[in-house]
Amino acid sequence: MYKIVQDYYSKKNEHPASLALFRITFGGLMFFSFLRFWSKGWIETLYINPSYHFKYFGFEWVIDFGPYTYLLFVIGLIASFFVMIGYKYRAAIISFFLVFTYIELIDKTTYLNHYYLTSCLAFVLCFLPAGNYFSLDSYFSGQKGNRVPAWSVDVLKIFICIVYFYAGIAKINSDWLLEAQPLSLWLKSKYDLPLIGQNLMQYRVTHYLASWFGMLYDVCIPFFLLFSRTRHIAFVFVVIFHVLTRIFFPSIGMFPYIMISSAVIFFDTRVHLKLLSFIESTLVITTSFLGLKKKQLTTNIQAQTSQANQLIFFLLGCFLIIQLLFPFRYLMYPGELFWNEQGYRFSWRVMLVEKRGDITFKIKDSVSQRFFYVKNEDFLTPFQEKQMSFQPDFILEFAHHLGAYYKDEGHQNIQVFADSFVALNGRPSQRFIDPNFNLLNTEESFKNKEWILPLNDEIKGL
Amino acid sequence: MRMKRYRYLILFALMFIQCSTDDADEINLNLAEEEIFDNKDSSLASNNDSTLTEQEATPDSGNSNTTISFEHKEMLINWADNIILPSLTDLEFSLNQLNEKATLFVNTPSNDNLLVLRESWLNSFLKWQHVEMFDLGYAEEIYYKNRLNLYPTNIERIEDNISSLDYDLNQSYNFSSQGFNGLDYMLFGIGQDDDEIVSKYLAEDLNYDKYLIDLIDKMVELTLAVKNSWNDEFRESFINSIDNTSTSSINTIINDFVYYFEKGFRANKIGIPAGVFSNNVLPDRVEAYHGKIYSKLLVTEASYAIDNFFNGRYYNDNDSSGLSINAYLNFIENDQDEKLAEKINEQLDKIFAQLDQLDNDLSMQVVENNLSMLSTYDVIQANVVLLKVDMLQKLNINVDYADADGD
Repeated sequence: MYKIVQDYYSKKNEHPASLALFRITFGGLMFFSFLRFWSKGWIETLYINPSYHFKYFGFEWVIDFGPYTYLLFVIGLIASFFVMIGYKYRAAIISFFLVFTYIELIDKTTYLNHYYLTSCLAFVLCFLPAGNYFSLDSYFSGQKGNRVPAWSVDVLKIFICIVYFYAGIAKINSDWLLEAQPLSLWLKSKYDLPLIGQNLMQYRVTHYLASWFGMLYDVCIPFFLLFSRTRHIAFVFVVIFHVLTRIFFPSIGMFPYIMISSAVIFFDTRVHLKLLSFIESTLVITTSFLGLKKKQLTTNIQAQTSQANQLIFFLLGCFLIIQLLFPFRYLMYPGELFWNEQGYRFSWRVMLVEKRGDITFKIKDSVSQRFFYVKNEDFLTPFQEKQMSFQPDFILEFAHHLGAYYKDEGHQNIQVFADSFVALNGRPSQRFIDPNFNLLNTEESFKNKEWILPLNDEIKGL
Repeated sequence: MRMKRYRYLILFALMFIQCSTDDADEINLNLAEEEIFDNKDSSLASNNDSTLTEQEATPDSGNSNTTISFEHKEMLINWADNIILPSLTDLEFSLNQLNEKATLFVNTPSNDNLLVLRESWLNSFLKWQHVEMFDLGYAEEIYYKNRLNLYPTNIERIEDNISSLDYDLNQSYNFSSQGFNGLDYMLFGIGQDDDEIVSKYLAEDLNYDKYLIDLIDKMVELTLAVKNSWNDEFRESFINSIDNTSTSSINTIINDFVYYFEKGFRANKIGIPAGVFSNNVLPDRVEAYHGKIYSKLLVTEASYAIDNFFNGRYYNDNDSSGLSINAYLNFIENDQDEKLAEKINEQLDKIFAQLDQLDNDLSMQVVENNLSMLSTYDVIQANVVLLKVDMLQKLNINVDYADADGD
C-alpha cells in the first residue's frame, strides 16, 4: 500500500496543460464574478450599508472596512486577473484566496455553496504548480514548463467529484424523491417561461422527473467524467444540466459557469492543448495587432517533473479527507437537518430546500414583566432579515445583539424571546423557536440547540 | 465516432420529452376531475371555475387531452379594472364632494355645516382604505400613501403653517401635516367643542379656512394624478407584465399587499397604539385620533378591503369576483386537501370578529383594556405568517427588496 502511494506520489506525472487551462478559466471567471458583483451594487448593499453583520462562529474578528471595502474588491480583481494571465502566479493566487475568503467571512448572510467552492478551489490552487506553463511567468523567464505530478491534477478532479457526489446523495431523501419538493414549488412558478411554462412546468410528472434526474445526475456524473469512454457524453450532460439550471434559476449566479469550466479538467492532455492553442491563436492575432513580438506559449515541455513537495502532498490529502468527512457532521446532532440546519452549510447541499420564515423578537423585563417587540428592520437589511428568519444560529446571534443594544439603552433585567414561524418545502408553517426560552441564556457553540422546536414531520434519507 | 454519440444524446432527449408529455396529460386529466369535484362542495370555489381555462392540446402531440393553466393576465385585468381603478375613481369622486362641503363650510361656518363636512371627510377616509395598499407606479413615486395617511399628525407644524402662511405641502417634512389625519385635526382638534372649532373658521385673520381648503385641494390633485397615471399605456403594461420577476406586476402587487398587511394594517393601525413596539401604550398614535370614534371604523373598513382584494371581489359589486390570490393559491394547491387560501380566509374572519369586540375609540381601548387590543394584534400577526411565509412560499414570490444570488 505504502509502495503504491509512494509510486503514485513520485513517478506519475502529467502534461501541465490541464492545470494551466484550469488556472486561466478559474482566474477569468473570478475576475468576471468580481466585476458582476460590483456592477450590481452588492458591495454597497451587502457589505457596506448593513449596520450589523452576522458572523461565522470563531470569525467574529472579521469586519468590513466601510467604504474601503472596495479596496478588497480591487485587490481581488487584480489578483484574479494575474491568476488568469499567470503573472506572479503564487502571490496572485494566495492573495486571491485570502481576499475572497475574507470577504465571505464578513457576513454569513451571503453564504453560498459556490462561494465556499471558490474558496476551496483557490486554497488548493495555492499549492499547485499551475503557473509555470502558458503563463506570463514562463513567458518572461523563458523557461520551458515542467511536467506536473499527477496528484496535482487529480486533487482537483477528486474534489470536484466529491462536490457532485455529495450534492447528489443529499438529494436522496423523501422530500426530494417522493414529494418532488422543493422542485415542485419552484418549477410551478416558472409559468412565465416561453412554450413550456404553462404546460410542462405545471405537470407533476415533470417535477418528479426533474428531481430524479437531478439526483441521478449529481451522483453519477463524477464516475462518467472519470472514465474516458463516457467522458464526452458526460461533458455534454454537464453543459446541458448547468445551462438548464441557469435558465430555471437565474439567481444561481456564477455557479453553472464555474462547474462547467471545472469539469474540463477531466479531459486528457490533447483536449487541453487544443483549447490552449485556440487561446494562443486568438492571442497571436491580438499581439501582432499590437505589434508585440510573437513568442510560442505552448512550447514543448521539459521531461523532468516539477519539484514535488511531500508536505503539500500530505496537506492536500488531509484536505480531501476533511471534505469527505465534514458533510457528515450533521449526524452528531439529533433532529431534522433541513429544519435545524445544524451541520447544513459547507456540505454541498445545493438547491435542496425551500424555507421561509417570519420572526419577531420580544424584549422583556424579567422583574416588571413588561415587554415590547423589536422591528427587525431597524437593525437589519431585508436580505439579512430574510436569511435570519429560518436559521437558528443567526437568530441566536441577533438575540444577543439585541440584548447588548438594549442594555446600552439603559434597559434592565433583559430577556429576549423569539416568536418565530418557518415553512419547509411547502409544508404549512409551524413554530420554530421555543417562545418561552430566553435566548440570552445560551451562547453560540457546536452543542445541540435544544431550543429549536422539532419539525412536525419526518424526512427520511441521507 | 463522436458525432454518433451526439446523435444518441439527441434521440434520448427527444424520448425524454415525449415520455414526459404523455404522462403529464394523464395526470392532468385526473387533476381536472378533482377540481370539478372540489367545486361541488365549497361555495368559495365557485370563483375557481373561471380560474381554470381549458386549452386544446397542440394537434401535433397526437392527443386530444386538455391541460389546465392559470390565466395570470386575467388576474391582473381583474385587479386593474375591477378593483384598483374603480376604487381610485370613487375616492376621487368622494374627495370632490368633500371639496364642495369644505367650500360651503368655510363660506358659511356653522355647526351644521361642520357636521356635514365631517361626514364627507369620513366617507372619503373610508374609501381611502381601499386604495392605500396599491403603492405602485406613480403612487409610489410621489409617496401618495404618506401624503394622504401619515399619522400621528404634526399639530405644531400645522399651527405654524397656518399662522405663518408660509408652507409647501410638497415638502416631505409637511407629509405629516396634511392628508386625512391633517383634516382630522382641522375638523376635530383645533377647539374644545364644535362651537370653538367653528369660531376659529369664523375668525378670518386666523387662516384656518385657507389651510383646510389647501389640504383638500392637494388631496384632490394627488388623487386625480394617481388615477390619471392609470392611463391606457400604463394599464396595458401593467396587465401584460405577468412574469415572475421582482419587478413584474404580480410580484409588485403581492409584495405591496403583504407589506401593507404587515405595516399599514397590523403595525400602524393596531400594533403601535397598543404599545407592541414600545414600553407603553401610545393612544395618540391611532388613525383619526382627534375624531375619537372613527379609528375602529377605519380599521374595519381596511380589513374588508384586504378581504375583498384577496378574494378578487369587484370594488363596485362585492357579489361579483374575478381571478384573485385566492384563486391563484387554489390553482397551485389543486392537488392538496388542506387549502392555504381557506386558512387565510378563516383567519380573516377571526380578525373581523376581534375587531368587532373593540371600542369604537381605539385610543380609549388601549388605555382601558389593552389586552383585547393585544389579542387583536396576535390574530392579525397569525395571518402575517400565513401570508408572508406560507403564501409567498407557495407562490414562490421573493420579497422584492432583497436582492442577491442564491443557490
